[in-house]
Amino acid sequence: MSETEQYIDARNAGDRLLAEHASEDPFAAAFKATRMPMIITDPRQADNPIIFLNKAFSELTGYSADELLGRNCRVLQGPETDRAAVDRIRAAIAAGEDISIDILNHRKDGSTFWNALFVSPVRNREGEIIYFFASQLDFTNIKSKEAELAAARHLAEEEVQRRTADLEHALGAKTVLVHEVDHRVKNNLLTIASIVKLQARISEDDTVRKTLRSVLNRVEALSTVQRKLLNDDDVGHFDVADFANELVLDMVGSLKRADIKVTTDLKEVIVPAAKASPIALVVNELVGDAVRRGLGEGGGHIHLEVRRLNGHFLIRVADTVTPVDMDREEQAFSQLMLNTSLKQLGAKIERTVKGRQTNVSVTLLVDERKE
Amino acid sequence: MRVLIVEDEALLALELESEIEAAGHKVIGQAAAGKTAFELIEKERPEFAFVDVQLLDGPTGIDIGRHLAKTGIPFIFVSGNLKRIPDDLVGAIGALEKPYTMSGLQNTLAYVEAVISGDTPDLAPPSLVFPKHAKGECEAPVGNHDQPQ
Repeated sequence: MSETEQYIDARNAGDRLLAEHASEDPFAAAFKATRMPMIITDPRQADNPIIFLNKAFSELTGYSADELLGRNCRVLQGPETDRAAVDRIRAAIAAGEDISIDILNHRKDGSTFWNALFVSPVRNREGEIIYFFASQLDFTNIKSKEAELAAARHLAEEEVQRRTADLEHALGAKTVLVHEVDHRVKNNLLTIASIVKLQARISEDDTVRKTLRSVLNRVEALSTVQRKLLNDDDVGHFDVADFANELVLDMVGSLKRADIKVTTDLKEVIVPAAKASPIALVVNELVGDAVRRGLGEGGGHIHLEVRRLNGHFLIRVADTVTPVDMDREEQAFSQLMLNTSLKQLGAKIERTVKGRQTNVSVTLLVDERKE
Repeated sequence: MRVLIVEDEALLALELESEIEAAGHKVIGQAAAGKTAFELIEKERPEFAFVDVQLLDGPTGIDIGRHLAKTGIPFIFVSGNLKRIPDDLVGAIGALEKPYTMSGLQNTLAYVEAVISGDTPDLAPPSLVFPKHAKGECEAPVGNHDQPQ
């Protein structure tokens, strides 16, 4: 059958269909005038050709009625049309079933549009399929917005990933730097202490040795602060009780005296890093003073207390010793270290002496640790 | 005791040697890198070792520690960063964190002597960090020896 014959057959079928509906038939009028593109095909003719299309369909596809009548709908398919979608439509038509499907179609000029297609068979009284009715809805705008949104989200996700990677990299570099600096500071502090010790070892002068030991003692107190500060994951804080415990046990332990008794009452007191050094020096001077006043030579008892007290923070050193003569210069130096540190901290000191017993209490206000 | 020092900072090694000799021990050698350390362990068979982690040829102190443990030579780590050492200290008696104090070092030496000679040490130095899940003699009788969290 030639194309012309097909066209004529389709046209005739369309005319017959129209003839069944008077021009004033509101259903026919609605079909023609609606903005929804619609077509009717005739499955009883070869290749199920289009026998009727409305104006909206021509506008959507760019084909005139003359160009489409007698042709199969596959004219709308093109290289970008999903073959699986076409197969599903074909199967539905073969089975005589309704189908609703989204498919990419091509216009006459080759451009594409997203078509929300609905195809439904029309049956006569005998149940035979006499027409297929199809409506189309161009949802290209919605589809492209979806695609834009997906693309934008994809871009945003990529950007977030890139920036996260940048931040992680920067954080990693910072962490390495902090560890490196911490490591160098620790090494340098130990090197300073080693230099002082080496010179003390070499010196034959008692006074020089004593002086260097005195310097070493304070350098070591500060070294211990550095070690205790950055041992903590929470950089920038310092537990005074932990420091005090190590200081008193190591200082008294190295005297190797069985006649010295140490007791402690230590409760965790966390202070900001800025206060760590002066507090450490205060603890160091108080314990050192007890050792110099007689603990180091005659033995005795030393009690160290670090705890919170009514919103304040208390450091108390109580000792029972048999007093010995002290080096006046060393004593004056220790006093200077203590007073200067107390002044920096705004701390109060109270000292009572009763026979062989000395009791020193230092109280200071410390900001609550910010969680 | 015949003691090996594994430390890449010459001044620290020198002072450590003085302190060890002052306590009546013999330092059989210093190693600043892994290779020298392994050679000295092989040749001199020390009875004890101080081992820094970060050496001239990188963080090879851990491997030296493992080798000492396998050879049956007691040792402690001396390091500026204890976080680099596995929690079980790969068989070390303990780890002394830098910067240690003179008292801390002397107490550690006394403790180590006691442990090696089979005595019960009367004081576990508070600055010495012990392996996690330590048992028996490594359990500290006094003070808090856990690494601060």
